[in-house]
Amino acid sequence: MRALKRGFRNFRRHPLRNLVVILLLFVCLTFSLSMLAVKLASDSQVQEVKESVGNYGEIKVSSDYTMQVFEEERSKSESERQTQSRTMTAEEQLAQRTRFLVSEEITDAFSQEAEVITYDKVLDARISVDDLTNSAMESMLSMRERNVQTGGTAPAALSSDSFSFEGNTNGSSLSDFMVGSKKLTEGSFYSYQDYLKANPVVIIEKTLAETNELSVGDTLTATISGQSGKSGEVDLTIIGIYETVQAEEQVAGQETFNPMGDTLYAPLSVVQKLYNTPGYVQLGSYYFDSEDSVAVLQQVFDNELSDGTLEFATDQESFEVISDPLTKVGKTSMIGLAGALGACALIILLAMAIIIGGRTRELGVLKAIGATNRQVMAQYAVEVICICLVAIILAMGVSAMISQKMGNWLLSDDTATAEQSVTQGNGNGMPQMGFGGAMDSRLYKEGSGFSSGSQESLKLNVVYQGSLFLYGILILFFIGLLGMAVPVIWITRLKPARVLSIE
Amino acid sequence: MQDVLEVRDINKTFKAKAGNVTAVDKVSLRARRGEVTVIVGPSGSGKTTLLYIIGSLESPDSGEINVFGEDVARSETDLISYRRQRIGFVFQFFNLIPALTGLENVMLPMDLCSVPASAQNDRAVQLLERMGIDGRLQKARVNKMSGGEKQRVAIARALANDPDIILADEPTGNLDSATGKLVVDILVELAREDGKCVIIVTHDESILAVADWAYHMQDGRLKGIETGS
Ligand SMILES: Nc1ncnc2c1ncn2[C@@H]1O[C@H](COP(=O)(O)OP(=O)(O)OP(=O)(O)O)[C@@H](O)[C@H]1O
Ligand SMILES: [Mg+2]
Repeated sequence: MRALKRGFRNFRRHPLRNLVVILLLFVCLTFSLSMLAVKLASDSQVQEVKESVGNYGEIKVSSDYTMQVFEEERSKSESERQTQSRTMTAEEQLAQRTRFLVSEEITDAFSQEAEVITYDKVLDARISVDDLTNSAMESMLSMRERNVQTGGTAPAALSSDSFSFEGNTNGSSLSDFMVGSKKLTEGSFYSYQDYLKANPVVIIEKTLAETNELSVGDTLTATISGQSGKSGEVDLTIIGIYETVQAEEQVAGQETFNPMGDTLYAPLSVVQKLYNTPGYVQLGSYYFDSEDSVAVLQQVFDNELSDGTLEFATDQESFEVISDPLTKVGKTSMIGLAGALGACALIILLAMAIIIGGRTRELGVLKAIGATNRQVMAQYAVEVICICLVAIILAMGVSAMISQKMGNWLLSDDTATAEQSVTQGNGNGMPQMGFGGAMDSRLYKEGSGFSSGSQESLKLNVVYQGSLFLYGILILFFIGLLGMAVPVIWITRLKPARVLSIE
Repeated sequence: MQDVLEVRDINKTFKAKAGNVTAVDKVSLRARRGEVTVIVGPSGSGKTTLLYIIGSLESPDSGEINVFGEDVARSETDLISYRRQRIGFVFQFFNLIPALTGLENVMLPMDLCSVPASAQNDRAVQLLERMGIDGRLQKARVNKMSGGEKQRVAIARALANDPDIILADEPTGNLDSATGKLVVDILVELAREDGKCVIIVTHDESILAVADWAYHMQDGRLKGIETGS
């Protein structure tokens, strides 16, 4: 019958009182643990998000600069413009073509930063391809012409034999294919080697291929911008055929309307050649090790690379859209955790004060018959631990069940706004026609216009992690120690003579 | 007979707002093995205070307490072993632990001294039998017992670690006269047969009849009185 047994017996002797204490503790502990689970989940999820969102940036001509050039252009009269373009030297023509492009020297230099993990270069250009027609484009152009009367403007550069060429350094990392809005159905992507050797290969759209009776292995003849005659032509071999996933889904069973069918993909070096802009790209696209590196890289860009016409665009905004609610939930749960732990502390202090207060005589007796303070404390420690242990075991079980609901509940307010902005960000269903659209703030990473607009709704996955078990033990320790403080103080201050003669 | 306890010039003053109370005033006392010392006096005369000072539950302002010629040291560990080995307390209100059975109450002081469980049990049973507490009653919770039974359990508990001195504070104060007499008889027997040094504090002057040494206490002062025996 050592202290342990005595403590345990005392614990069993007051079932009702202990039940009340345990119940109160259990409620607060369940709340604490759930809050903690939510906090841990939101933290780890933010960390996860940092590795996939917010760690992307690209260097391109800033939209401000683009707007400014457009404004200047608009102020010139049509005849002015024509004389200007006729009298331009070859160099001036190159400058004209590259005014919305970035020198590869700059994008390459930026790729040397330690935080940069992947690097790609992209060039989008309209190129004429002989003997290839885009029926969908034709019908769309006529649609647009009809719209002119109601205020729409038909882009002058569009024609049914002009196609949008998108070039990058490796076909398999094309963003449209990465985000899944397009998928290769036949043949293969061009490789990095194709880019290095400027192999004249191309990937074309399925409907386009069908209407023109083309298949993998056939060739197309594209014209180099600003040149004519045989020397200005390049034969491109079709190595792959893709389809636009969402366009198909949208028009299942109907006559195919596929405005994206006019995009052809080719190695960057080939597109540069066709567009006659060697050494220039539309953008450099980068993934970094983590969202945390963005600030540093922004600094590097601002200090070393920016010349006023360029911008370093990141997906910081979409990161914030996703992470803000999570961070907020994390903060809220911390407050909840602190409050609940405070309540736990209060409960255990009060409970112990009541327990000890009702047993001062017993303490006096124990001391009078020669119990050391440590022996008395051990007995109470057993009692405190029994109470806390039962409460925390129950709390762990229940919070494992409810913490997901807690998380959802905390997230529900923020999610509404988050989803709204996600939809706003991606919801413009119309394809971006041509390159250098001044309003196009879309990042290359997000793919072109037809990428999925319905992003998965934000969800907090409260996984009941193993570390939570450790935290549970820590909390048990914490309230156990706090509970012990009461008997410790009481015992060290107790004068047995005072309590032994009380009736 | 051998002197067990010698108390010399003990003073104790309680400081209170209403004024200081000198509960024990220059008290000296000797008690021997096998003898019963009885201290009588009116309420508030300082009897309990004196007893607690002897039992180390209260510390005197000045004076000396010798047990077997050795000064009772005041270090915490010394006090613990003094309370365990030298002193057995019997209180007016029994001061048993209500959560425990009679047997467990008697085992408790041995338990605190880490006596092996079986030895604890054997000795507790033996002591309780001697006090006339039978097997069934030993296993009952003490809060279900009568006053006389409680006091006999308390005496058994006081004897658990075989102390030299039994300090009894009004042991009959809460008992009817027949039961009180029984308890006093037990205490006397402990002195006569076990050679304990028994000190009884009471305002019940009838107990003086069994005293080997008797004192009268008034306003904290102790004065020896003649006994018939
Ligand atoms: N802790 C204390 N603080 C202040 N005064 C005290 C304290 N303990 C005892 N006294 C006072 O000391 C005096 C002696 O008290 P004590 O309890 O020793 O008397 P007693 O002879 O045992 O009385 P009784 O027969 O009523 O038990 C009393 O006046 C009492 O009020
Ligand atoms: Mg008294």
